Amino acid sequence: MNPLHLIGRVISNPWFVGVLCTVAAVAAGFVNQGTVQMWCFLIVNIMLAQSINLLTGIAGQISLGHAGFLAIGSYVAAVLLKDYGVPFPVAILITMVVSAMVGYVLAIPSGRVREFYLAMMSLAFGLIVYELVREWRDLTGGVMGMRGIPSPNLNTLEIFGWQVSMEWYFRIMLISLLVLMMMLRNFVKSHFGRAFYAIHVSEVAAGSLGISQGGTKRFAYALSGGIAGIAAGFYAYMVGYLTPESFTLMRSVEILVMSIVGGLGSLMGQVLGAALFTYLPQQLQAFNDYQFIVYGLILVFSFILLPRGIAGLLGTHTRYSKHDQLTANIPDVNAVLSRRDTGSGALVDVQGVVMEFTGLRALDDVSLKVLPGTITGLVGPNGSGKSTLINVISGIYKPTAGTVRFKGQAINGWPAHKVACLGITRTFQDPRNVPSFTVRENILMGAHRLYKHGAFAASINSPAASREEGQFLGRVDALMKEADLIRHADEAVGNLPYGIQRLAEVARALASDPELLLLDEPAAGLSESESERLGALIRLARDHGVGVILIDHHMDFLEELVDEVVAFDAGREIYRGDMEGMRADRAVVEAYLGKEEESHA
Amino acid sequence: MLELSNLSVSYGAIEAVNSVSFTAQPGSITALIGANGAGKSSLLKTISGLVIPKQGRVILDGQDLALIKPHERARLGIAHALEGRRIFHQHTVEENLITAWHFRHPKGDFKRAQEQVYSNFPILAERRRAKAGTLSGGQQQMLILSMATLHEPQVVLLDEPSLGLAPIIISQIYDFIRGYAQEGGRIVLISEQMASLALKVADHGHVLRHGALVQSGTAEQLSGAGLASAYLS
Amino acid sequence: MDFFLQMIFSGLSVGAVYALIALGLNLTFWTTRVLNFGQGSVLMIAAMLTAVMIGSGLNMLLAILISLAVAGAVLIISEIVAIRPLLKVSGSMGWVVSTLGLGIFLQGVASLAFGTQAVAFPDVLFSSSASVQLFGAWVSMQYIAVFMISVLIVGLMELFLRYSTWGYGVRAVAHDPDLASLMGIPVRKVVLYSFMFSGLLAGVAGILVSQISGTVDPGFGLHLLILAFIAAVVGGMGSATGALIAGLALGVLEKLIAGYYSPAAAHMVAFVLLVAVLAIRPQGLLGKKEMVKV
Repeated sequence: MNPLHLIGRVISNPWFVGVLCTVAAVAAGFVNQGTVQMWCFLIVNIMLAQSINLLTGIAGQISLGHAGFLAIGSYVAAVLLKDYGVPFPVAILITMVVSAMVGYVLAIPSGRVREFYLAMMSLAFGLIVYELVREWRDLTGGVMGMRGIPSPNLNTLEIFGWQVSMEWYFRIMLISLLVLMMMLRNFVKSHFGRAFYAIHVSEVAAGSLGISQGGTKRFAYALSGGIAGIAAGFYAYMVGYLTPESFTLMRSVEILVMSIVGGLGSLMGQVLGAALFTYLPQQLQAFNDYQFIVYGLILVFSFILLPRGIAGLLGTHTRYSKHDQLTANIPDVNAVLSRRDTGSGALVDVQGVVMEFTGLRALDDVSLKVLPGTITGLVGPNGSGKSTLINVISGIYKPTAGTVRFKGQAINGWPAHKVACLGITRTFQDPRNVPSFTVRENILMGAHRLYKHGAFAASINSPAASREEGQFLGRVDALMKEADLIRHADEAVGNLPYGIQRLAEVARALASDPELLLLDEPAAGLSESESERLGALIRLARDHGVGVILIDHHMDFLEELVDEVVAFDAGREIYRGDMEGMRADRAVVEAYLGKEEESHA
Repeated sequence: MLELSNLSVSYGAIEAVNSVSFTAQPGSITALIGANGAGKSSLLKTISGLVIPKQGRVILDGQDLALIKPHERARLGIAHALEGRRIFHQHTVEENLITAWHFRHPKGDFKRAQEQVYSNFPILAERRRAKAGTLSGGQQQMLILSMATLHEPQVVLLDEPSLGLAPIIISQIYDFIRGYAQEGGRIVLISEQMASLALKVADHGHVLRHGALVQSGTAEQLSGAGLASAYLS
Repeated sequence: MDFFLQMIFSGLSVGAVYALIALGLNLTFWTTRVLNFGQGSVLMIAAMLTAVMIGSGLNMLLAILISLAVAGAVLIISEIVAIRPLLKVSGSMGWVVSTLGLGIFLQGVASLAFGTQAVAFPDVLFSSSASVQLFGAWVSMQYIAVFMISVLIVGLMELFLRYSTWGYGVRAVAHDPDLASLMGIPVRKVVLYSFMFSGLLAGVAGILVSQISGTVDPGFGLHLLILAFIAAVVGGMGSATGALIAGLALGVLEKLIAGYYSPAAAHMVAFVLLVAVLAIRPQGLLGKKEMVKV
């Protein structure tokens, strides 16, 4: 075994962490105050690194202005205690909430723009907060700084009459950090963590599973801001004196560097990154003299030289499910899908849909009805409009004209994630999984829209949350068995053969317990046996009353499955009926082979 | 003579083209036939240099093209009209033609070449000041063909030129292609899903399935109902 | 009234420089969909070098030319070191972080070489005391010169991109690099040229803005970068005309608020404007909507 990986195993072992923290908590009583303060400072940095990691490492939104959160939080916390006499724990909580609100407001545009806009915005945010802090002298004391903040350092901090010493302050911080990290770990392994990561890696796929891009990013920003707020509160009281120079761009860069070097995405990596960059500047004078040069170079080269940071070197992997915490009951695969009522008219009703792109009419007055418990095949040459129709129904395109009704409700023009939440689930022509997720995690992601428990329940592993997660994990196992994926369950899907990726995507679609299933060439690139598995999955859905729209070029594959086939050519329907009739249909043959086929045949 | 020997292409785990070899002769049209995803586009992109093959070689008149970049191949006389109506939408028709002409360092006179285009496709002359994005599908395809053949390249690769077009436009376009190939002993490769259409204009055909050549022959040999099985099964 | 007019004129002058910087950002954005987050330091390096070289007795024109050459070279190096290798990293995270890193690195080098204190910028265009009377207000000749030069460069660049063959090439690369290369356009070369020009524009802007402000220090570029970015976004990312209009408006707005209230308030307003535009009309005033391809 790689010795580095062994170290990684040891330091992420809960027993090791427990012992280390206990030793530190005890030792705090025996070392000098400067050392304890250093440890407190380390904890602040770890919290800040966790905050930026949640946002940047997991949700993929780069923050270049985290010092802005730190500044706002610090001054809010200081004022609360100094001027209003709010009790210390309450002040920390208020600071957290204020910081989270700032994060939320900052992220308002996030649903509509690409991430580098937000990155530049965050850079501007950090800079402007710094300026405000300097200029708002009445409140912050400007460049002269703010003094007189109750602090354990000066023996002026009290909680309900109990004077907190530095060593007890450290112990309070240590416990807070442990609770925070425990909650973060559980959060990341919940459907929220998966959603955060999914909008980062594959926005379109995330939308198709009911994950709102804007909502998720705003949530990530707010949470990140909240965690930075906690760190800021602890920081303000710890130092007892605030000056704008602690909140410069360089401070933002420092936090980012800790997180990147520690290993974006890894909770343990953040601890290591923070430790490294808390102690190195103490030990090496060069760090202070050449701080811009050193941090600049680290930013330039870290992604090339150390793409997954120290955590990557130590071989630690962040996992995004509670598979390791829960033992799941594996139900019968028939229990995975609800049994849908097949009696009540058309499930989806497309009326006169037109889809125009510049210079091209991809869909020209298309109408289609699908009944529950039936499979409709769509065939036609490349570019005839089949995929466009699926994109229109699933909300990725807004049709130029026409309506799409789902169970009587007009849904054309709805955003994709809202459509998905209704129970319309799709797969893509090229499989869109999260490549670094395991097969299990990818399929579990399909269930996203079904989760009922909230973020707090997920973070503390409440009984209801564990029950729900366990139930879905069991269903995923049942689906993997049915799709013959169980032997790949814990492998990263990006490393698996194409056919397996496709099957995993279809299984993911079924995990959403859909009412309407849209499959875009699911059999492309599948082997014979994989095709059979795929067929079994599609039948399973149909037998539970799911309506299925299936695009494929493999006619023998369609033959065995479809109730009705619709052929398209140049954006128009040219045939509707059974497979037999389609093969003999002159228009279809012409569409595929061109006008002259009849004269040769 | 254009020679492909033992070409394979893969995108990550996906194998798009699997050891394909054939030659194409001057003055002839070769059709690549196959369903969506059979590997036709990847094959053409390997010839024009947009895709670097995993193995195998592309040889034009004895010269191995391996180390030659796409824009240099374009200047050597390999033109490639991409699938999906790719033109410069924000440019006008005329600007598209200028862009297609200037950077390939052609000999001759742009004015003459442009007049030739407008006499081949008078509708483009009418719409010379219109933004290319506002043209109809057929007009866009005419522009694409004109851009590809503007500086009279020796090799022309056409990816799905008939996609989504009305039959009358298709025959107009194919007439042009046939004329172009025969005119100066040029090599034309066409990828098509519509097999019999392609075989009507082509001299030779190669049928691709899952990235591999499954059938080759003259157009006459390949024509006929038997081919339908490549699609409808 | 005089004060008001003076604020307007100085606003137009810095606003034109914002447009110039925004044009530099747009150039690389066109060809590669990448922005240099370290562009602020390029402004600073060019201005700092000019000031220091002239201060040490070098010929003024030569000093400016050398500084501009360095600015162009820095951008080419950025592309090679900090952008191209990082395009594979998911999304834009890699290049955002690495270009910012390069900017910070340059800031560090400048502090090391020239010290962290502000350096007085010599009079390159007219004397700082030369002024003319416009609409009754005395306006510094330097403001007028900076305004004219910036607007002229933005206008020339726009003409070049719109009507020259190379302009077609740049726009072709922006639209579809694969197709451009099939048309014989040396895409790689066009990209490197676009970075070099982006550096030159940043260099010119750095020198012009220092001429107005009178001093330059190693940390001075960041504000300008952000204000230029705001101008680019408000005008519509990728639109040169939009950036010019938005830049001038932003400059005037900033000077008026700063003049009557405070500079921090001006920046706050600019920031709120950025958030609002991104939330309400992310394509900006003159930009075009981006189409999502599936």
